[in-house]
Amino acid sequence: MQSFNYLAPHSQNELCQVLCNTAGKIIAGGTDMLPQMRNLKQTPSTLIDISHISDLRYIQESEDEVLIGALTTWSDILESPLIQKTAPALAQAASLVGAPMTRNRGTIGGNLGNASPAADSLPPLLTLDAIVHLNSQSGQRQVPLRNFLTGPGTTDLKADEYIQQVSYKKVALPFGNVFNKLGPRQGMTISIASVAVLLALDANGKITLARIALGAVAPTAVRCPDAEAFLLGKEPSTELWQEAAHQVRKAIAPIDDVRGTQEYRHHIAGILTRRALQTAYLSLQE
Amino acid sequence: MQRIQVSLKVNGKKYRLETPPNRTLLEVLREDLGLTGAKDGCSSGECGACTVLLDGRAVNSCLVLIGSADGHSIETVEGLQKAGMPHPLQKAFVEKGAVQCGFCTPGMLMAAKALLDQNPKPDEEQIRTALAGNLCRCTGYTKIIDAVQEAAKELRYE
Ligand SMILES: Cc1cc2nc3c(=O)[nH]c(=O)nc-3n(C[C@H](O)[C@H](O)[C@H](O)COP(=O)(O)OP(=O)(O)OC[C@H]3O[C@@H](n4cnc5c(N)ncnc54)[C@H](O)[C@@H]3O)c2cc1C
Ligand code: FES
Ligand code: FES
Repeated sequence: MQSFNYLAPHSQNELCQVLCNTAGKIIAGGTDMLPQMRNLKQTPSTLIDISHISDLRYIQESEDEVLIGALTTWSDILESPLIQKTAPALAQAASLVGAPMTRNRGTIGGNLGNASPAADSLPPLLTLDAIVHLNSQSGQRQVPLRNFLTGPGTTDLKADEYIQQVSYKKVALPFGNVFNKLGPRQGMTISIASVAVLLALDANGKITLARIALGAVAPTAVRCPDAEAFLLGKEPSTELWQEAAHQVRKAIAPIDDVRGTQEYRHHIAGILTRRALQTAYLSLQE
Repeated sequence: MQRIQVSLKVNGKKYRLETPPNRTLLEVLREDLGLTGAKDGCSSGECGACTVLLDGRAVNSCLVLIGSADGHSIETVEGLQKAGMPHPLQKAFVEKGAVQCGFCTPGMLMAAKALLDQNPKPDEEQIRTALAGNLCRCTGYTKIIDAVQEAAKELRYE
């Protein structure tokens, strides 16, 4: 591994000072950073290891919100009854990230910070209108996740800031919230395309809430406002899901890469959407 | 070149060492502590040959920066045996023919131990999930699953 200067703040105060005084790169679980440093995609001269800041690891709730600390691991998320209840798609995404070893180290802050278009926290969090809380010496800042993501691997994070937590408003029960991804193989796989949907119905069975977010099919993970607006007020049916999937295909801009072609991504984005909508609908019938 | 102080507890024994920061837990275990059970298969979190337990949880030691292991407790395959007697997992791996070349075995054993510590009676699906990050190019996995089930039985004193 290349050499670097190493700093390991043990509190958020210390971290603020370090970030203010040094141009350094943050490392949390290291599951993205270490592979990137090994193949020289990252060559930090100073590495700021935040893994010892224990008060950045929590899942908390207030009356109307859920707060997830940046150092919360995928395993924490997967095992949290609160997340299972308020963000089932996020729990599901967590269960599909890498292997247990990846989930035990990889953090939600790292997944957001790395900002891969294929990052699996993004579609579920986008369906929850999640807010990213940033902190620095000069104060706190809250940015809606959809504005936080600015491009493949880029975010709105400033050099002296760190991600402190991500939050979302609780959605009134009952709702269906489903995550679905397709990778090159069953286990331990990076998404070729992923989708999360959130669906709620009124007493007459008409759709009152429809949110659709996709990963790995555009420069950032994206919501699909046209498909969502189309679904509102309508009654669920196979044809309706087909039409929504069609709208989703129009809204995305996938690329060719090692995992799949543009054409293939277009195709499966629709299929994943249709299936996720149906699964979310079925979960509401239980 | 900067050097950092790191305290580790490895298989119950305390170590205090000094090292450049640009090393992984795997490198320190193998090169400084002589614990060569954990293997370097891919250096990128893909193969699981480097699996050890960190505070009881399975991790890829090739992706743990040594500084972030500071103050933590590590278990490696060398710590499985007790007074020269193999751990039930080790015994079952041998008896069921779950070891061929052996390169994946230390990682498999530690991932399996993490599972059995949490879940004494896993079904096949749960075993496969727990071992999804441990690649084996020899055995075809079936015998490894059998061995984990066998060891689970013995650990439950059935
Ligand atoms: C084998 C393997 C399988 C994987 N499978 C998946 C998968 O299925 N789905 C998926 O989405 N990802 C996957 N990943 C990628 C990775 O594990 C996740 O993105 C993980 O959540 C990253 O978290 P981390 O703490 O390890 O991040 P790190 O590697 O520590 O950091 C990642 C980036 O985020 C920044 N960062 C970290 N924390 C903060 C913070 N608090 N504030 C500001 N910036 C911060 C860092 O500077 C860096 O740029 C996989 C990785 C491996 C090795
Ligand atoms: S060497 Fe660590 S996962 Fe392969
Ligand atoms: S026994 Fe050879 S890799 Fe598993």
